[in-house]
Amino acid sequence: MNYPAELKYSKSHEWVKMDGDVAVIGISDFAQDALGDVVFINLPAEGDEVTAGESFGDVESVKAVSDLICPVSGVICAVNEELLDAPEKLNQGAYDAWIIKVENITDQEELLDAAAYEAFCAEEG
Amino acid sequence: MSELKRTQLYDVHIQAGASMVDFGGWEMPIQYPSGIVAEHLYTRHACSLFDVSHMGRLLIEGPDRVAFLQHVLTSNVMALDLNMAQYCIIPDENGCAVDDAYLYRFEEDRFLLVVNAANTEKDLKHLNKIVKDYNCTITDITADYAGIAVQGPKSKELMMILSGGEAVTEPMKNALNTLQLEGHTVQVAKTGYTGEPLGYEVYIASDEAAWLWNRLVELGAKPAGLGARDTLRLEAGMPLYGHEMGTDPEGVPMPIFSVSLARFAVSFSEQKGDFVGRAALEVQSAAFKRIMNRDFSDVTAVPKRIQPITLLDRGVIRAGMPIYRGDEQIGWVTSGTMVPYYRAEGEGLQTVILEETAKRSIGMCYIASDVLEDDIVEVDIRGKRLKAVIPPYHMRVDAPPFARPILYRPKTENAAAAESDRPAKALELIRKAAENHQWRQKKCINLIPSENTPSRAVQMLCASDPAFRYAEHKKIKSFYDQDIFYYQGTKFIDEVEQLAVEQMKQYFGCSEVETRVISGQMSNTAVFSALMDWKNRLDRKHDPKRLGYVLNNHIIKGGHLSAQPMGALKDYIAVDPVTEKSAIVNFPVCKDNIYKIDVEETKKIIEKYRPELIIFGKSMVLHKEPVAAIRQFVDEQNIPTTIMYDMAHVLGLVGDYFQKPFEEGAEIVTGSTHKTFFGPQRGVIGVNYKKDELKYGLWETIESRAFPGSVSNHHLGTQLGLLMAAYEMNHFKGEYQKAIIENAKHFAKCLKAQGLNVVGDPSIDYTETHQVIVSVGYGSGPEVAERLEENNIIVNYQATPDEEGFTASGALRMGVSEMTRFGFGKEEFARLAELMADCILRGQDISGDVEKLRAEHTEMRYCFNDDEYLETLGAFAAQIGV
Repeated sequence: MNYPAELKYSKSHEWVKMDGDVAVIGISDFAQDALGDVVFINLPAEGDEVTAGESFGDVESVKAVSDLICPVSGVICAVNEELLDAPEKLNQGAYDAWIIKVENITDQEELLDAAAYEAFCAEEG
Repeated sequence: MSELKRTQLYDVHIQAGASMVDFGGWEMPIQYPSGIVAEHLYTRHACSLFDVSHMGRLLIEGPDRVAFLQHVLTSNVMALDLNMAQYCIIPDENGCAVDDAYLYRFEEDRFLLVVNAANTEKDLKHLNKIVKDYNCTITDITADYAGIAVQGPKSKELMMILSGGEAVTEPMKNALNTLQLEGHTVQVAKTGYTGEPLGYEVYIASDEAAWLWNRLVELGAKPAGLGARDTLRLEAGMPLYGHEMGTDPEGVPMPIFSVSLARFAVSFSEQKGDFVGRAALEVQSAAFKRIMNRDFSDVTAVPKRIQPITLLDRGVIRAGMPIYRGDEQIGWVTSGTMVPYYRAEGEGLQTVILEETAKRSIGMCYIASDVLEDDIVEVDIRGKRLKAVIPPYHMRVDAPPFARPILYRPKTENAAAAESDRPAKALELIRKAAENHQWRQKKCINLIPSENTPSRAVQMLCASDPAFRYAEHKKIKSFYDQDIFYYQGTKFIDEVEQLAVEQMKQYFGCSEVETRVISGQMSNTAVFSALMDWKNRLDRKHDPKRLGYVLNNHIIKGGHLSAQPMGALKDYIAVDPVTEKSAIVNFPVCKDNIYKIDVEETKKIIEKYRPELIIFGKSMVLHKEPVAAIRQFVDEQNIPTTIMYDMAHVLGLVGDYFQKPFEEGAEIVTGSTHKTFFGPQRGVIGVNYKKDELKYGLWETIESRAFPGSVSNHHLGTQLGLLMAAYEMNHFKGEYQKAIIENAKHFAKCLKAQGLNVVGDPSIDYTETHQVIVSVGYGSGPEVAERLEENNIIVNYQATPDEEGFTASGALRMGVSEMTRFGFGKEEFARLAELMADCILRGQDISGDVEKLRAEHTEMRYCFNDDEYLETLGAFAAQIGV
């Protein structure tokens, strides 16, 4: 399992990368592995407001559906629409396949660094 | 998870990196590292292994075993032959399912009932309560044997590597066999839970299970877990207990007849007596029939039905999601997910399965019984209503070796053809017909064994005036059985028919002939209809009884449609009330030569079933039929029966070089006149009953089932052509028949020498008929036949007796009759064999060589051609404008 040091992680298994004032958000390698084959994703729209700790969409694997929980509050400024047709990209490279970008950030959840997240996953796994 | 049970293959799964889950109290692999999607796809295009050792296996033994099973299962156990399996349901008193199961009969005196792992305990409790009243026992042998499902288009090939080439089972679904795989004894069933047309469930001693699993992996199979097993069975539309059976999401038990499969799994045979749930199931069955007839006036007993469902909007449907029609909730999704499939392109047999994959959101649902196919409904997906449709099915398995995903397409009416420009189209038709005639007659080498080209005289006679006339006639007792015609202008055709009958009697060596039937299949229909009418002649006040038992060649063993319940026998064959199946039984074939009837085994079958009709004859035919041996046997045993020989394929071979059916003891011979015989396309019936015999009445019935039973207009043009063909055959048969048999044997030997896999018995040079069969590899028949056509050689692809059906055909069926008539001898067939090997084995373009070989042989032989005859024919041609 891969836990890049430059990222922050939520306890609901999303990763966050700060790119200036913009938060780039995806799901972690641990999350995609636990989900199994991702076959569908429900995405929000550009301009939607999101709230930290609340769902902004969902991913479906063959087995089950999981909510995507937003680690930050703000306004969505970009959506990775490529994932609509190729949700398997989340399995192929969890950290390349960003899902949304959020700007005008007003709040954020408590996020873990890579080491803490790895420990958290080990406990869950 | 320590209290979970583990199968014999647990360590193998762990080593393979499987994710293990609790499934019905068993620790089972949900998936392997490649993932569910990859496992699903690998099953569909190659071969996957599933550990099914957790399935409950119950052995039922003892004198009352049949009575007990008839009482506790929905199926008719009497219909289960040795070495066959059947799907069944364990019902409760209310007509709901305790479980669904598979019943296997590997041995004469015991049954194996395979039940769902999670239900084994519950089933045992239920069955044990009832078994106390019966003199039989139930033994749980789940732990004694491991079960491995080997599923997918490559499964047969892999299993046959392990069996050393021996057939794994008979090719039909649900067939069983006990055999050795590299020295390990296994029991194999041609069953599965993936929908794959090729797939086996293999039972093997516990300590040998890992060996078999690893050996199959070594050969290219890959493990697949419960996740893929679920998506595969969902795509195949197979119910899963707990989802499509059991109780609905509100806890209400689901009636058994809400699953369409119940139609086949539930029997109300008298033999079953008052079985568990019978009364409730009869009420359900009545409701089900009303629903199928779109009468929804009373659906109380089956308020909802299990149907496939396809999501039209983007998303994924899951078990438990409510389904709406307008504001009304009409059911739930019972299973659903995103299922992967291989894309395909092309049409019909030329359909190519691509490497590219896609996914579709499909499922099954439990939905109001008045919902019809193609109805649009809405699924509530977490508060959002998305559009879905009820498709007829998600997948079809009738074109083996592949399961074919069926993507939903709304039904559309065929577009009406454009109405304009008919003169141009008429001209185009003439041009194309001329082109086709030129190609088939001058450039192609035709090896279709059921075809021939008639002589020029026959062709011209067929096109001359009687072709547009009627000549109905019937024997009238008041005129001492003279044929009375209803129309004037028929004296010529009257004479022609009498001469044709005379010629055919001489040819067969029999007492009576009917030539008015216009096809081989119609000949058989007329005979079957007459046999049934004759059987009922002394009681006209009740529904007539059908024929049964009838002994014939199974279609998969070379039998023709025209002697099958699915063909001409359909309306005349009885249903055996004990088995609830057609009262038909098949000739057993020799173990070492599946193209040949096993006479000794046939005698046993005849003694057991005492068939009232025995039908010899096949369309894939390499051997003489044992008419004389069977005639002798039924006479000695005093078994009243009628022996019929359908000689459609070999009609032109009656005589010294093949068989003389009436001398050997056939009573009725039918045939088509255009395969090995020289005629235009018609049928013929001959019998050898004498006027003072009781069965002469059957002959008179056959005549009346020909006219007015089958034809009003019996196609007088070809009737005229048939007379000429009969003259030609009676005159030339000595040379022609000798040449046919010699050419066929020589052609077979040359093909073999060229490296092709000629099937049949080498000790008789592979064939005793006009046919030669070449195996080109499982499933390759259609492709090779198409390639040969591109090279101007016309053959037909054919499933051999160990293949599943025409799309899985691995053989080419060829006949030498037409090319022999065009003058091919040993030298030409040797050259042809060489060219065919170049094309089939080496992929060479041989079209030019074939055209050249054909161009040297366009003159028809075995027909009259002296000067006076040709001059007269020329004048006739001028008169009729041919």
